[in-house]
Amino acid sequence: MSALLEFDDVHYAFPGSAIPALRGASLSIATGQRIALTGRNGAGKSTLLLHANGILRPAKGQVRLDGAPLEYTRRGLLRVRRQVGLVFQNPDDQLFSASVLQDISFGPMNLGLSIADVRRRVAEAADLCGISNLLDRPTHALSSGQKSLVALAGVLAMAPRILLVDETTSGLDPWMRYQIFAIFDRLVEQGVTVLLTTHDLTVARQWADTVVVMHEGRVVASAPPVQVFADPDLQALLGPAP
Amino acid sequence: MRVIDRYAFGNALRDVDPSQKGALALLAIILCLALDHPAVGILTLVWMLALTTWRARTPLRVFASVLLTEGAFLGLSVAGIALSVASSVPEAPVFAWQFGPIWVSATHKSLMLAAHVLTRTLGSAAALNFLILTTPLVDLIEMLRRMRLPEGLIDIMALTYRAIFVLLDSLERMVTAQDARLGYHTLHAAMRSAALIGSCLFLDAYRRSQQIQTALESRGFDGSLRVLPLDYRRDPRMWQIGVGLTLSLVLARMIA
Ligand SMILES: Nc1ncnc2c1ncn2[C@@H]1O[C@H](COP(=O)(O)OP(=O)(O)OP(=O)(O)O)[C@@H](O)[C@H]1O
Ligand SMILES: [Mg+2]
Repeated sequence: MSALLEFDDVHYAFPGSAIPALRGASLSIATGQRIALTGRNGAGKSTLLLHANGILRPAKGQVRLDGAPLEYTRRGLLRVRRQVGLVFQNPDDQLFSASVLQDISFGPMNLGLSIADVRRRVAEAADLCGISNLLDRPTHALSSGQKSLVALAGVLAMAPRILLVDETTSGLDPWMRYQIFAIFDRLVEQGVTVLLTTHDLTVARQWADTVVVMHEGRVVASAPPVQVFADPDLQALLGPAP
Repeated sequence: MRVIDRYAFGNALRDVDPSQKGALALLAIILCLALDHPAVGILTLVWMLALTTWRARTPLRVFASVLLTEGAFLGLSVAGIALSVASSVPEAPVFAWQFGPIWVSATHKSLMLAAHVLTRTLGSAAALNFLILTTPLVDLIEMLRRMRLPEGLIDIMALTYRAIFVLLDSLERMVTAQDARLGYHTLHAAMRSAALIGSCLFLDAYRRSQQIQTALESRGFDGSLRVLPLDYRRDPRMWQIGVGLTLSLVLARMIA
């Protein structure tokens, strides 16, 4: 398997904070993987994702896409963001428009597609996420589960090759979670790599083919679930497995 | 706010082009002010009420409650025009009450003037209410976008509108959380809790604006919020309504 996205010894400290959030995180992600990224609160999971599409720039180390280091220029960033989609923890932090349709159209519009293509992308993404009936509803009149789906559709409309999802499934009812995982499965079938940060070890065990464990700003394990959950040290780190 | 917003999104004229609805409301306001007669004001109000309840199928109750709220403020200022408070009684008062050395009175002229102002303003207010009850802000912003207002201004309006609801949600959560911990048990506690919310809400808004910025960047934001234009239906009836409105108001003015 050739590496699609690589983090190589990434270091990062947030401005004004003494303790670095990432201290030499290294990880290699291949095409078509379903990855569960886990680790305690504050381990650096969200920070790592922000490096993946160039929002944050490593103080030391490198992020590579298809073997090429990220370029932090306007064009370089647009190229990365076209391929790496990021869904945030809280949909209210992501949905900026009061119109569901307009919010979903934002990403594809930035890709410079024609209006007709954007419309098609929006319709497809909405259909995949099962929210076609919500397109003309106001964002603020949606339930939190529906907002999560809209946020997901807004990223999928950009047709990324890698989808990074930060904790979207927490706070969703089982039915809605099932819907979201069905969407992830469809994406993986289409060749998209899906990485999900989660505290839910059941998800890590049952859905993922690779479990990545972070601790204190480093990646301490990246292996199939059976292997990770058989390791007593990792068990102790993550807490009792379900 | 939320009530108006809900009906704005849910009414039968929702998908009609906002510029048509905006033009109709503007026409009504201009006629109401230009023809300047109580009969015209009242007729405008009737028109707008009919359009909102019958064409847009918004409950009369909603239209009335919005108009009455505005009417209450209006009533107070109009009372100032109708009544005069003085130490003497003017000539030919319609009525005059004495409170100790002070006379509160109204003349035929002052009452007429008050009625004039009241009907004219209510007519215009009703026209605006028709617009805001049938057209969500999203559409009004879209209308301004088409009128080629500066992009930056449009973006700020759109973000603010969305932010209001996100902040309202935060506010509700914070108040509930404080209330659950007896934050509003006594007047003193209530004042302290409310003050705390002020600063928390500010921090929350600040944090959120940063988050939104990050999220926008991750979707390729480069300084302008490009989104799909919304689709609307052009309603030919709106033209007929506009003509009918104009004719009837002019006629009312000529007869009255
Ligand atoms: N905006 C920020 N400013 C300063 N420090 C931050 C900021 N965001 C995160 N940190 C710090 O960086 C470290 C890593 O945070 P991060 O959000 O990446 O953790 P996480 O693994 O996503 O945790 P969680 O499971 O709680 O989401 C933490 O110590 C956190 O306090
Ligand atoms: Mg996190």
